[in-house]
Amino acid sequence: MSETNVQPYNYGIIRLFTIMAIVWGVLGMFAGVYIALELTWPIFNLDTPAITFGRLRPVHTTLVIFGFGGSALFATSYYVVQRTCQVRLSSDVMANITFWGWQTSIALAVISYMAGFTQAREYAEMVWPIDILIAVTWVTYFIVFVHTLARRTQPHIYVANWFFVAFILATAILHIFNNMEVPISLFSLKSYSLHAGVQDAMTQWWYGHNAVGFFLTAAFLGMMYYFVPKQAGRPVYSYRLSIIHFWALVFLYMWVGAHHLHWTALPDWTSTLAATFSILLLLPSWGGMINGIMTLSGAWDKLRSDPVIRFLIVALSFYGMSTFEGPLMSLKSVNALSHYTDWTIGHVHSGALGWVAMVTFGSFYHLIPRLWETKMYSDRLIFLHFWLATIGIVLYISAMWVAGVGQGLMLRAFDEYGNLAYTFIETVEFLKNPYAIRALGGAFFLIGIVIMAYNVFMTIRQSRIERVALEAKIAAKLAKA
Amino acid sequence: MKHEKIETHAGLLIVLTLIVISVGGLVEILPLYFIDETIEEVKVSGKETVRPYTPLELLGRDLYQREGCYTCHSQMIRPFRDEKLRYGHYSLAAESKYDHPFQWGSKRTGPDLARVGKKYSNEWHVQHLIAPRSVVKESIMPNYGWLIETPLEFKDISDRLRALKLVGVPYSETEAEYEANVERFGEEVAKQLEIINAEDNLIEQAVTNNYDGITAEITEMEAMVAYLQVLGTMVDFKQFDDGYFATFR
Amino acid sequence: MFEWLNWFTDMQNTKPLALVLFFTCFVGIIAYVYLGKKRSKRFEEYRFIPLEDEADRNQEN
Repeated sequence: MSETNVQPYNYGIIRLFTIMAIVWGVLGMFAGVYIALELTWPIFNLDTPAITFGRLRPVHTTLVIFGFGGSALFATSYYVVQRTCQVRLSSDVMANITFWGWQTSIALAVISYMAGFTQAREYAEMVWPIDILIAVTWVTYFIVFVHTLARRTQPHIYVANWFFVAFILATAILHIFNNMEVPISLFSLKSYSLHAGVQDAMTQWWYGHNAVGFFLTAAFLGMMYYFVPKQAGRPVYSYRLSIIHFWALVFLYMWVGAHHLHWTALPDWTSTLAATFSILLLLPSWGGMINGIMTLSGAWDKLRSDPVIRFLIVALSFYGMSTFEGPLMSLKSVNALSHYTDWTIGHVHSGALGWVAMVTFGSFYHLIPRLWETKMYSDRLIFLHFWLATIGIVLYISAMWVAGVGQGLMLRAFDEYGNLAYTFIETVEFLKNPYAIRALGGAFFLIGIVIMAYNVFMTIRQSRIERVALEAKIAAKLAKA
Repeated sequence: MKHEKIETHAGLLIVLTLIVISVGGLVEILPLYFIDETIEEVKVSGKETVRPYTPLELLGRDLYQREGCYTCHSQMIRPFRDEKLRYGHYSLAAESKYDHPFQWGSKRTGPDLARVGKKYSNEWHVQHLIAPRSVVKESIMPNYGWLIETPLEFKDISDRLRALKLVGVPYSETEAEYEANVERFGEEVAKQLEIINAEDNLIEQAVTNNYDGITAEITEMEAMVAYLQVLGTMVDFKQFDDGYFATFR
Repeated sequence: MFEWLNWFTDMQNTKPLALVLFFTCFVGIIAYVYLGKKRSKRFEEYRFIPLEDEADRNQEN
């Protein structure tokens, strides 16, 4: 190293977040498979309040979105911001606060849901004290991130960081406004939301869809804009496209939440506006996807040899697919069929498994050897993980298409006399097989991440052994001299 | 101004991003508070028929949330022919105007519950909640046996009503507020909304209706069934002209 | 003389107004980003930032 006064990067915090992302990922996906089994065979509820579907479903969503996804974003954003700004994180103490604050929030959320404490707002079920802890953690995150940007030695802020900034800002706004509530007393976890009925619904889905838009999309695009070029060894296809991509995506996403409320008591003007913007959103989404895929083009030969590239290309393909499916489902006529059915669940998972999880796996396989200064323990296990994950997603999504479209069609079918052709419970019977296949697909995906966890564990062990060996070598050399 | 300025000044990037992400939310959410047609006026002979929940119903609603019923059941009927036949008249915004939080739901793994009230007997609900498959063979709903085994906790009921009052639900504490409620909802409802009598009202409703079929104590089942039985029953659609509600859409 | 300003006060006209504003803004950004050879060149240099970070400092342990 030439400049001796330069501080090394803070990798310790990134290692912690990376490990926790995998831990929460395994637990969250296990919870997902388990609730899939409950839906297929209700006996799995075991007559135990803490693990009935209604309480375990938020456990699953919280663990995978905020536990796995959130920790992965902390890890990668801290990595990307340090390396592209060529400066150490501004404060170790604050970075540690974000780690412990975030992990504590996730753990408390899971325990409280199982004990029956919830706000009953989807993806924002945490009770008010946890909301406050999250808000404090998030503000700390914002300060660390922005302060690090401000101290950069590079003149330009790389586009990946723009996405991270937008994600941090938007999540702060969404979290605060969607969790405005009044506790019934300072010593009770129960609270009532400030808004009611139609306004509450609009606020909740403005939050809910932008949790998808900024947490699960913009932030992971930040990840994409760094790790795809790095792994491919080629610069991003077009920087100018990424600028357009950024502003258009950030602007348009905030409008589309109301498409979750088509045909409800929400005024028509709002949901029509949301549908229009949902269609427009296709453009920046595909702009981003094309930018990513074109970056990889020219490195196609690596598809055969490099499993990490495979994860990234599949992630981008699923991103393209689900951002096409999304606008389609936001059309009011399609939504009339798809809403309330498993089609929505399938759509969410093609985004969450196909895009979010796959791009995270790819980035992690790039990141982990660098964090622990070694090679991955096994490339073959990465290939195996890739195939298990891909097969799992395909099974999952196909099962949910069959379930969703099938149920939607059955529910609106009439017989020749104009009576309903099916009762509701007949559609439930119909869902049994697709639900079983969905659980199987989920199990594939779960086994995949368990293999990853094993691979990472062995990599870290290997790194320790290597370091001990190296130290012994140096000691021996010193002894000789 | 050069784009470089944005790229090189973190602060400017933050400010511009904030402006850009705020537009959508502001345009779609704020007007909902100010446009009068957003929530329908539902009055029969001068009295509002959509009322806040009684203390017992409210606790039932809180249990409904505790168990995560909203993860499988919606409470929002859409204006389609099949939904009308299956569930009844489409849901009005007015029907959830006292719902903190709303429970419209997003998924129907089970049927919609917006108008489930009075469709089945109390006994049916109790049996169905304890062992769903004993009434509907193909059901995949979990058994909720503990509802009837657990006594209802209602010590903090007045705290709950007070918190709701703070966010705008017209529960009454003063004489003036009570009188206003009499004017708005009629005397019978107004009495149920008095915070000072919450506990007595709760016990009285439970004892009179005996939703859970057990006289010895008030169980969680009592509250849950009381809540289910009031869902969708507050608007009598026979009292309104065809097309009246369409004017709000 | 200033009657035309009344057009802006009518709530009905907010939609086309917003459309025009946002669309102009969008076209403006595109034009800004893609027109101008120097600017384009500068932007495209930024692509290499992630690839320039390899020769970096050691990590702490």
